Amino acid sequence: MAEATVITDPYTEAAERLKTLTKVMTTKAAIAQTPKELVWTLNKAKLYRYTPVLPKEKRHPIPLVLVFALMNRPYILDLRPGHSFVEYMVNKGYDLYLLDWGAPGPEDKNLKFDDYTLDYMPRAIRKLKATFGVEQFSLLGWCIGAILTTIYAALRGDQDGLRNLILLTAPLDFSNKQGLTFARWTDERYFDIDKVLAAFGNMPGEMIDYGAKALKPVENYIGNYVKLWDNIDDPRIVESWHAMNTWVTDNVPLAGGAFRQLIVDLYRKDKLMRGELVIRGERVDLSRIHANLLTVIAEDDHITPSCQSEPIMSKVSSADKELFKVRGGHIGIMAGSGASKFTWPHIDGWLAPRSK
Amino acid sequence: MGEDPTQDGKRFDPLDAWRGVRDVYMDAWSKNMVEMVNTEAYAQATGAMLDTYLTASTPFREALEKAMVRTLEQLAMPTRADVVSIAERMTNIEMRLDDLDAKLDTIQRLITQAVGPPPQPRKVQQPAKKAVAAKKAKRGKK
Repeated sequence: MAEATVITDPYTEAAERLKTLTKVMTTKAAIAQTPKELVWTLNKAKLYRYTPVLPKEKRHPIPLVLVFALMNRPYILDLRPGHSFVEYMVNKGYDLYLLDWGAPGPEDKNLKFDDYTLDYMPRAIRKLKATFGVEQFSLLGWCIGAILTTIYAALRGDQDGLRNLILLTAPLDFSNKQGLTFARWTDERYFDIDKVLAAFGNMPGEMIDYGAKALKPVENYIGNYVKLWDNIDDPRIVESWHAMNTWVTDNVPLAGGAFRQLIVDLYRKDKLMRGELVIRGERVDLSRIHANLLTVIAEDDHITPSCQSEPIMSKVSSADKELFKVRGGHIGIMAGSGASKFTWPHIDGWLAPRSK
Repeated sequence: MGEDPTQDGKRFDPLDAWRGVRDVYMDAWSKNMVEMVNTEAYAQATGAMLDTYLTASTPFREALEKAMVRTLEQLAMPTRADVVSIAERMTNIEMRLDDLDAKLDTIQRLITQAVGPPPQPRKVQQPAKKAVAAKKAKRGKK
């Protein structure tokens, strides 16, 4: 048999590489492909239900609601087929819901944590329970979504039937100012929040993106593209890079009111962990959290170091609580190549017996 | 065969050594930059830059906004503030609708608890196919 001839002309190879590079830099990858239906909507927020793939008798009776950060798109949880936490959990028999906050407009500049945790979340949960006839549910909050779920759990968790709470890379403790680069940048001596919000209303997505990338400037602005070029002939790596780049460049502004609370009440005054945070006149007391708690910490997280997530373990009243540390970065633990081997199975292993 | 493969099957690439040097250099550069952005001096410098930009751009932005509002009013067009106001009212209406939805759900649940689930719709008796065919045949004869 004659072997196929492979063209190794260096000019053709270089042209092919440039073509691939141009494609992944200028187009959007197909993401968030797991089928879902809209259950509830309010303003920009939407509650989706992912279409179950197992019959009802084989599914866990307690549904799981995913709550992502306010300033990024939530489809990082459903990045691409075969590499999707959503797809994994649906296949494991969870009745899965996603609370998508959407992108705030100028009219939403006064939205605060108060609105998200006492208007949007309880209303979405109420609709879920009424429509699907369940009394209890589990919540998974990631990053700023973990702040929202923690506040909600303390204020409304027991009343609404919250059974399990999963916090991923949760920035809750801001007492270690020296260990937090963001705290240094947003110190009141250098960062005039009133001036910024007077100019923009909401905190622009581009500025948030700059802040996240500037924590590791060489990796994010140069190394990321060098890595792509080095692996440009490997379709698997290119596909993965393309999907991640689509998500990273899809920025959402953060509502002005919520941004002010994040910087002033949390980064500067550490009110949540000190028990001084007041939401609509009610103090957020973390000892009122009784739900089963799993806290997941990324060991190499440069955005939310472990010192921000660990202290909640001693503050809550949950009888059943676990701290799980996993190798990886802030996003990598859920969307990286090791996520399906370590983080996802651990979450499933913890949640499955508690969802009966 | 034009080129000799190396023992592990890969072609010899003269750039491999360069890549190794590049990676070592980038690692060192990256560590230095991470340390640099984590200093008070960097926080102070970025804060000052942002402050300067906002101070310099605010008068222009405000003048532009005023001019835009005047122009839109002259053209009898809604301004940004008008659109924002309508959007806020829409959200308020959505909230009220959600409240009504909650009340309806509660009423439905209470009715179901009191009288049981709604009855299944009764099947309407369809005339037998044979009888219909016979009738048609009769009409045809007439």
